[in-house]
Amino acid sequence: MTEHAFTRSLLVAAVLTSGAAMPALADKASDTLNVAFTKELENVDSYFNSSREGVVMQRAVWDGLIYRDPETNEYIGNLATSWEWIDDTTLEFKLREGVTFHNGEPFNADDVVFTVNYVANEENGVKTQRNVNWMKSAEKIDDYTVRILLKDKFPAAIEFLSGPVSMYPNEYYAEVGPSGMGLKPVGTGPYKVTEVVPGQHFVLEKNENYYDSPKGQPTVGKIDIRTIPDVNTQMAELFSGSLDLIWQVPADQAEKLGQMGQFTVANESTMRVGYLQMDAAGRSGADNPFTNAKVREAVNYAINREELVQALLKGSSQVINTPCFPSQFGCAQDVTTYDYNPEKAKELLAEAGYPDGFSTEFYAYRDRQYAEAIASYLNAIGIETDFKMLQYSALRELNMKGEVPLSFQTWGSYSINDASAMVSQFFKHGSLDSTRDDEVLDWLNVADSSTNPDERIEYYTKALKKITGEAYWAPMFSYNTNYVFTGDVNYTPTADEVLRFVDMSWN
Amino acid sequence: MTDAADPLSQEIHGPTPRQILRMRAFGHKGLLFGLIVVGLLVLIALFAPVLAPHDPYAQSLMNRMVPPVFMGGSWEHPLGTDHLGRDYLSRLIYGARVSLLIGSIAALISGLIGTTMGVCAGYFGGKVDAFVTFLINVRLAMPVVLVALAVVAILGGSLTVVVCVLGLLLWDRFAVVMRASTLQVSRRDYVAAAQVIGASTPRILLTEIMPNIFNNLIVVITLEMAHAILLEAALSFLGLGVQPPTPSWGLMVSEGKNMMLFEPWLVLIPGAVLFVLVLAINLMGDGLRDVTAPEGRS
Repeated sequence: MTEHAFTRSLLVAAVLTSGAAMPALADKASDTLNVAFTKELENVDSYFNSSREGVVMQRAVWDGLIYRDPETNEYIGNLATSWEWIDDTTLEFKLREGVTFHNGEPFNADDVVFTVNYVANEENGVKTQRNVNWMKSAEKIDDYTVRILLKDKFPAAIEFLSGPVSMYPNEYYAEVGPSGMGLKPVGTGPYKVTEVVPGQHFVLEKNENYYDSPKGQPTVGKIDIRTIPDVNTQMAELFSGSLDLIWQVPADQAEKLGQMGQFTVANESTMRVGYLQMDAAGRSGADNPFTNAKVREAVNYAINREELVQALLKGSSQVINTPCFPSQFGCAQDVTTYDYNPEKAKELLAEAGYPDGFSTEFYAYRDRQYAEAIASYLNAIGIETDFKMLQYSALRELNMKGEVPLSFQTWGSYSINDASAMVSQFFKHGSLDSTRDDEVLDWLNVADSSTNPDERIEYYTKALKKITGEAYWAPMFSYNTNYVFTGDVNYTPTADEVLRFVDMSWN
Repeated sequence: MTDAADPLSQEIHGPTPRQILRMRAFGHKGLLFGLIVVGLLVLIALFAPVLAPHDPYAQSLMNRMVPPVFMGGSWEHPLGTDHLGRDYLSRLIYGARVSLLIGSIAALISGLIGTTMGVCAGYFGGKVDAFVTFLINVRLAMPVVLVALAVVAILGGSLTVVVCVLGLLLWDRFAVVMRASTLQVSRRDYVAAAQVIGASTPRILLTEIMPNIFNNLIVVITLEMAHAILLEAALSFLGLGVQPPTPSWGLMVSEGKNMMLFEPWLVLIPGAVLFVLVLAINLMGDGLRDVTAPEGRS
């Protein structure tokens, strides 16, 4: 076997040196797909990171009770075979039998009970509380029947259970905890992790014993994911054949790579929304200009969203007027919108008492180019920006302390197709809420906990109308992701910004 | 006795020191090149508003990354446009202001600090010398780029912060060179004579010592100017120097970096200009040293 691989690589080396460039052959031959991540993952344990790369790993290594088909958005049983609402706050699941974790531990009700009780306990510090804090606890009925108890009515429960809530092996997790799980992850998913070198790379191997999951069976034998922060390096490696797939490629580069003709460039919309957050609550100082609604409106009028989408984001991005993505349930679109109108923006600033504009700190953590373009729009109406580019975690911390008057933020909603994943994340007086509107809070509370879809829509609409009417934020655009891969790779990306290794195969 | 035989009269009738200086200067190609390029760039920086064809801050997203004329662009944007559709030539011209401003002010601040310390150490000697030497050693033990990065990261990047940080960090060479020169000069007879006639210390330092070490100072000033310009570019490249939208050459390199594989001119143009400026300043400094003190050639 190894001898065979050796002769083959010798052969490849011979072919390469003889001048016939067939760079990607080596990878297909060794059945290893080389992928690059741009950002380093803080912890592979999916409950203890909040990045997109973490979601990708989570979907490959672990499974949830339920699966949402990314094409049809239909909910299908995954680790559970069926489920029913016993009452408004109790969900009962029948679990799949015969599933084992990568370490051989069998999957049963104990694992579900342990996982739910562990993550729902706030003291354990799950990074994104919103993903888990709607669950109170879980109880075992028998080995393959389990009930999850909710704190309150929570209609998006199924969506969350098909997304960020994945099942962990109870005995192993109790022993190693999040840090151990991060270094030697064990799940039930289509791929098992064989190597974790933080900051460098992760190696995933096909789970030969993967059960009959709606995710499908993995075909690519080995996935080697390396952290390469620089896009140019990623592209150079793609040219040389040492990478097979890169994603989150900036629009300009993707366009050029597409023109080269030897790579497949696939563009897919994502749920990520880019917006300006303004300190309407005056947390960064009561005399903050953004406490004035006219200033916030002026900011909204100052930005040419069409131009940003067409010239910078390109692809399948769209103009966004709401603090949520249009496909999300409850994300009403009949709200106040602000067209590009710099004259009106200047007038509004003058009315607000800033005829000569003002100067403010402007923070951003990603997409420097977009941030600069936005700053330039603001400069044009007289808002002088003191531009500060920070790391995500640093900006988040500053934001939690309420020291950020104006910032360019983005939110991907963890690909949860429900408005609560975004609106309720930021407008319910949490530490990241820069608006603190009591009325919005009340409406969102009703909308989040109602089980009547019509009532939910009604209250989300109310909240969204107030938010846009008061111009609390300046929502701008949705993101898209470019996936670029070699001709050997066969993959159709989905619209939810999740890289699914299980759907990849060799051509 | 003929005139030719008398060495004294020969000296009197030969070219004056000023003439010798001029002859040497015009014969020195490096110095000429340096002076012309630096002079040109100073003029460009001074008259930027007149020379720039467009507003360097005017964004036009529909006109992004237009290639320069020599790569198939139009004369509307001779050097093309950047990633936000801003005219590259205009930004380059305004960028000269930033580079020269930072270079000269940083060299001035550090020159003041370093010269004061160096001259005092060299003239007074003893404990003063020991203290200054200690300070120089402390300063030399700190890597400039690292300290600058840390300070700028804490205080936030802006033109003022970068100028001050560089000014307060780059005085070491001034101090070292001025100390050594002062040590040499202060043992000369004319210094002793001045002391004997009862001249005050400031007077001796300013009128006897300073004029005689000035040529060394000029060389160090040019070196440190080039050094400061490069450091500013490096800091801006790393996102910690001058903040956008201010045009800075280092920042332009950094902004063009992402498109380096496909639009290399975005990096090449500011990079080349930066290279030429630093080269010219260094050549000018070397030339001045050669011209004013021929023995420095060794």
